[in-house]
Amino acid sequence: MSIVGKSITRIDAEEKVTGATRYGGDLYEKGMLHVKVLRAEHAFAEIVSIDTSAALALPGVCGVYTAKDVGGTNRHGLIRRDQPVLADTMVRYKGDPVAIVVAENDDVAREALRLIQVEYKPLKPIHTFEEALAPDAPKLHPEGNLMGGKRIRKGDAERALREECEIVVEDTIETQTVDHAFLDLESGCALYDGDMLTIWVSGQWVHEERRLVALALGLPVEKVRIIQPATGGAFGGREDLSIQCFVGLAALKHPGHKVYLRYSRAESMAARHKRHALRIHYTMGAKRDGRLVAAKVTVWSDEGAYASTGIAVMRKASSHCTGPYRVPHVWADVYGVHTNNNPTGAMRGFGAAQLAIAYEGMLDRLAQELGMDRVEIRRRNVLRHGEPITTNQIITEATAGECLDRALLQFAKGIDPSVGDDLAAAQRVWESRSYATRAPWLRRGYGVSVVCFGLGYGDAFPDAARARVRFNERNELEVYTGAVEVGQGLLTMVVQVAAEALGIEPERVRVFAADTHLTPEAGSSSATRQTYFTGSAVKLACDELRERLLDVAETYFGVHPFEIKISNGILTKVGDSGKRMEIDELLSEARRRGVSLETQALFKPRTIRERDEDGLSPRAFVTYLFGSHICQVLVDTETGEVRIERHIAAHDVGKAINPELVIGQIQGGVTQGIGMALMEEVIYGSDGRILNAGFTDYILPSVRDVPNIEAVIVEHEDPTGPFGAHGVGEPPLIGATPAVLGAIHDAIGVPIRRIPATPERVWRTIMQAKAEGKWQDVDPRWERDVKR
Amino acid sequence: MSTTKIESQKMELTFTLNGKPCVVEVEPEKPLLEVLRMEIGLMGTKGACLEGECGSCTVLLDGKAVNSCLVMAGQVQGREVTTIEGLAKDGTLDVVQEKFIETGAAQCGYCTPGLILAAKYFIDSMPDASEDDVISALEGNICRCTGYNKIVEAVRLAYREVHRPPED
Repeated sequence: MSIVGKSITRIDAEEKVTGATRYGGDLYEKGMLHVKVLRAEHAFAEIVSIDTSAALALPGVCGVYTAKDVGGTNRHGLIRRDQPVLADTMVRYKGDPVAIVVAENDDVAREALRLIQVEYKPLKPIHTFEEALAPDAPKLHPEGNLMGGKRIRKGDAERALREECEIVVEDTIETQTVDHAFLDLESGCALYDGDMLTIWVSGQWVHEERRLVALALGLPVEKVRIIQPATGGAFGGREDLSIQCFVGLAALKHPGHKVYLRYSRAESMAARHKRHALRIHYTMGAKRDGRLVAAKVTVWSDEGAYASTGIAVMRKASSHCTGPYRVPHVWADVYGVHTNNNPTGAMRGFGAAQLAIAYEGMLDRLAQELGMDRVEIRRRNVLRHGEPITTNQIITEATAGECLDRALLQFAKGIDPSVGDDLAAAQRVWESRSYATRAPWLRRGYGVSVVCFGLGYGDAFPDAARARVRFNERNELEVYTGAVEVGQGLLTMVVQVAAEALGIEPERVRVFAADTHLTPEAGSSSATRQTYFTGSAVKLACDELRERLLDVAETYFGVHPFEIKISNGILTKVGDSGKRMEIDELLSEARRRGVSLETQALFKPRTIRERDEDGLSPRAFVTYLFGSHICQVLVDTETGEVRIERHIAAHDVGKAINPELVIGQIQGGVTQGIGMALMEEVIYGSDGRILNAGFTDYILPSVRDVPNIEAVIVEHEDPTGPFGAHGVGEPPLIGATPAVLGAIHDAIGVPIRRIPATPERVWRTIMQAKAEGKWQDVDPRWERDVKR
Repeated sequence: MSTTKIESQKMELTFTLNGKPCVVEVEPEKPLLEVLRMEIGLMGTKGACLEGECGSCTVLLDGKAVNSCLVMAGQVQGREVTTIEGLAKDGTLDVVQEKFIETGAAQCGYCTPGLILAAKYFIDSMPDASEDDVISALEGNICRCTGYNKIVEAVRLAYREVHRPPED
């Protein structure tokens, strides 16, 4: 392959370094009308009345709109359409929108918000699982506060824990609410020309956003056009609708005027859905030799005020609850509970990330109890080719163990470069790893994780991508895809796949993406699915076009098409480079013969629904991704501060279409995983307000918090993906958090039960260990290694 | 309904923007970021936190990197402002821009203009920098996508090219 596998420069790199790229907020032009949103005053209340007259009377205000002005269902939501565009009878979280103002300028719009009089009948807000499930708790939704559940019943975990297990560990692990914190704030514009409503706002799935906007605002779907501007990160945070309906409604009310809306950071954080906070009660049982026998897992999930993608997240949590390990007996219950916190939905890792913290944390506890090395316990349990994963799906290529080996080799090479590819030597380096530090209160620790991730939506949910390709009059290949570029490099991937499939130069490829009126639907940029799905659709369309071209070339070369090669825009006979034909010449010939130079393809692999009664499915996901991390930390036991000294992340990506882009995904995902492990946490006040809705108090990893992340690309080509590729987006985050937490556990000897492991929590954990007599002032391993 | 809106007097702000004189009528307390974007229409400077924490809005003020969301318009009177649009000279990219492309340091690209200007200031102002100074120079800029590794690599490469030009 000449283009796939090469790190060509991103096609949007130059425009990004010169500041020419136009994101949603950059589409502002003078003369646009300004839209602002009024948010709920209470986290939970009935709306008694809304009086907009004073706001309407303010000079410069063009309109004030409430639920009664919304023409359609006034509801949106990716699975259940339960979330109001503008709250009508009730507000269920502090970010719930109540009204919008359209005004001539930003200051007037802001002023008008203050003049809207809303009378509420407040209810006591619900923030915890206990409050939500209390018998007398007020209901957020008619069906009650228990939103739904998912389960796994494989074997007989209860009996196995009682009778077969020789050792059982049990603990409760709590994960936090996390904000996506993409830098590019929700912003954009809209125009209604009397016939068509056009919306320029970044999302993750333009065609679904079009459907949701059309339903909510009461328009025929073909009368809504969504165009994705450049997008500054998404991470799941743009899956639910954000401002599309607000600018859409404003535009409908003011035909012929472009309307503009841009959130502040505080509003972005207050409004948007978040990563689910989970409380995970995990019981893991094994034999004395470390072989896992049973897992019993109960998960409570904070779903917040609306369903969002919560049901799918719960399913991902249950189906990934034992990770890449062989566990014959699994019992899992996952419950989603509505609260008056922000709705929770998609974020990189999607439930699988939280459960990885749990199963890896439990393996570390088990290893500690057994006095076994944490690499060894994982080796004994990691799936082998042809064994079933949690849902009983057979994993034909189970490369988790290979990823662990590769991570270990990388770890060892950093200490002793002569290790090379000698796994036994790497194992020796690992076993003699040093705990020596400058002082006994500085403790080193090493964490290991091995994780898996089911790619795509799975569970029989329709999952498809289409692509259309055509050679234009200038003999450029135009590729049309509905998929959205959010920063990950999708457009560049498309160029490489198309160029490789057709044997043409990448410079000849033009990509048109994410415009509902120009491009065919490709599903969302989420679930680590676009390289696999859109990559496949583009390849299929190009393959078809290539076959047509080869048929034309057949007469020129006088051989079977099978014997003709196209490379770098030149056709040659296989094994005979003497006779050549330029692709331009071939295209002219094809046109002369009336051969169509346009094709479209659909890629739609099938998955099988997980059974309701036991959560099992022979094909819950189209394919699985595996990865393994090793993290080395230094913990200051006096302050609780954690510094990451090394982080190694090995991921099987099938085939790296663009290795540098893959490395970028791994390093970025690891960094978000470090943020989740150590610092990021959305904190709610008792009134339901987010207390840290800004970057001053919501702490993100900075350049100083991140080591040189050693990304290791493992390529075990997946025959079902384009050129063997499957994907990389989410697994690096999933692997990172448990590796960091495992390293802290190794350093201080006790696990952190509630994350993030902020300095205060680490310090308190140490204090508690001291109080319980589980603390030695000097780690014996430190003494041993300092002498060494 | 009485409101307590403080009416602000606009001022005529004269400053040098990307090497050219610029005159604009604005409220002096308006953040420079907003003046650049909403009044002048230069959209290359990004705002992300709007409270001086993320560095996305970094511009050069008299050659020094500042958060333009925290600089009031009135403060730039008579001074020189360089934004990302003014960095390339006669169509030739600055070495920092080149290295960002070469190393793949931009993913979503939203933090990129601010980072490039922070790096530009660092390289221009610290001829004897240590490796750790690179980290300090970039500490005020948040990137949510890349994990910083490639950004640090880009800045190191640019630094070496400016201060220790490769010998032929």
